[in-house]
Amino acid sequence: MSGYKIRKGKDIVFIIVITILTFLGILPLFHIIATVFINGIPIIANKGISFLTNTLSNGGIGPAIVGTFILIFLSSLIGLPVALLVGIYAYEYPESKIGRATKTLLQIMLEFPTILVGVFVMSMIAIPMETYSAIAGAFALAIILMPYVAVYTQEAMREILFTYREASFGLGLSRVKVIFRILVPLSKRGILTGVLIGLAKVAGETAPLLFTVGGLYESYPTSIMKPVGAIPLLIYTLVQSPSKADHMMAWGASLILLLIFLLIFIPIRLKLKEVRL
Amino acid sequence: MKIKRLDMFQIITSPAVIFVFLLFILMLSVYLYNALPAFFREGLDVYFKNTWQASEIPSKEYYGLAAAIWGTLYSSIIGVLIALPISVAYSIFVVDYAPKKLKNVFIIISDMMAGLPTIIYGIWGAFILVPFLQKYIMIPLYKNLSFIPIFSYPPTTGYSYFSAGVLLGIMITPFASAIIREAYQMVPFTYREAAISLGLTRYEATKILLGYIKPAIVSGMILAFGRSVGETVAVSLVIGNSFNLSVSLFAPGYTISSLIANQFGNAYIYRHMLPVLYAGGLALFIIGLIVNLIGIYLLRRWQKNVRI
Repeated sequence: MSGYKIRKGKDIVFIIVITILTFLGILPLFHIIATVFINGIPIIANKGISFLTNTLSNGGIGPAIVGTFILIFLSSLIGLPVALLVGIYAYEYPESKIGRATKTLLQIMLEFPTILVGVFVMSMIAIPMETYSAIAGAFALAIILMPYVAVYTQEAMREILFTYREASFGLGLSRVKVIFRILVPLSKRGILTGVLIGLAKVAGETAPLLFTVGGLYESYPTSIMKPVGAIPLLIYTLVQSPSKADHMMAWGASLILLLIFLLIFIPIRLKLKEVRL
Repeated sequence: MKIKRLDMFQIITSPAVIFVFLLFILMLSVYLYNALPAFFREGLDVYFKNTWQASEIPSKEYYGLAAAIWGTLYSSIIGVLIALPISVAYSIFVVDYAPKKLKNVFIIISDMMAGLPTIIYGIWGAFILVPFLQKYIMIPLYKNLSFIPIFSYPPTTGYSYFSAGVLLGIMITPFASAIIREAYQMVPFTYREAAISLGLTRYEATKILLGYIKPAIVSGMILAFGRSVGETVAVSLVIGNSFNLSVSLFAPGYTISSLIANQFGNAYIYRHMLPVLYAGGLALFIIGLIVNLIGIYLLRRWQKNVRI
């Protein structure tokens, strides 16, 4: 019976290894959240509300926060309509050549190195305009937002029962009406999830902003044609600085960014079962 | 020939689809076009030479991306090697052993890790992870095993391929986990029943079931590799940013994306640097494209086989 004992022993080792590796895998998240809070709270407590409103030299990240929200808003304005249309198209033609190619393209863009998007937009918009601007950053972020929203739209619509489609067409409605009046409203919850996931992603992106928005931390933005700041970009700059005070600011800014991320992310999770980023 | 009647639906949606395709093609052409001067000037040296001579005299300038390409591949491979066992273990644990109530919690945690802004990984990596790895892993290994080439570089700062690889591993694990977990969940229940009814232990049964999702694991790893190749800010904060070409894990290095992030801003001062950076971008573009296409293709083929 020693053979059985060996097998049983292997089994126990296996379970232990699996459990340890799993916890090792998720441990970083807790450690990251804990360190961001531990290092971020003192600086924010120290500066109080002025951390959220002051300019950088006065010990605040106000312009960066405003910049991030401007960028989120503008990039949704540019990216969402295109994303929805492309997602709907991919849903409607799952088997046609173009439909399949569209889906593959979306998946490639989902994985695409974001720095390349930034450099591309710089050469297309920032250089001809001869200035960094919010609008350039928004374009870059829109390109990143688009595939997330499109893929989620397509998958949300695919989950609608086929009978709804049949019934709608059976009423003699045109394709446009069936899709935009019936199927899209039916899947609005899934589409909204996609939108929120896209926004969560866009809020935290740094690389596409490196050469597009320029950064503006000493005054509030006045025009979308001029440079703006963004929280992730500010963190990136501050981390590279040798000064300890800058590092403190970076932790504070990270805490704000984390809170924004959680603010977008938690509603998604409370409402819906499965989310893939 | 029959003329296809375009309906309203296509009139509304096609422009968006065409726009996205054109955008992608335009992106590729921008990189190709801007990289061309570098190929004309240096030929394939751009990719295969490790040198970075920036100079105010244009004729003295010479650039090669070999170190950056090496750093990209090396750190990503370390990342994948770390992500592989963890993501497979995670998938098995969540699907087979986690209590029902906790299952969802584990999935949420993993999703959150996948979505967490990369700059937060970056700041944590630079201020917490690197000192930790340096103190508890690099220095002991260097002290005791420095005769082995991969441990031979003195870890004075801690910023290295190794740090970048570990951070990448942490970042891509949730991403690979999602793919592998979904695949593992799809294994037909009868297979589990059959394996258990043969009297196999849990370990032996799992081994057989894993064989069934092997293609999904491979494509999960390929896609995770693709993602880590393109990661920029987190890596550039921990890899040390220097033109090394070394197998030593603890040596600082560069990746293509961190090179672009660091050098693009001042490339305009020099005459010939910009095209070289575009050539780097082009390489990244093509690596990303090929890796992702293979990953997507394998995953789809497997999914098709399973559904039958």
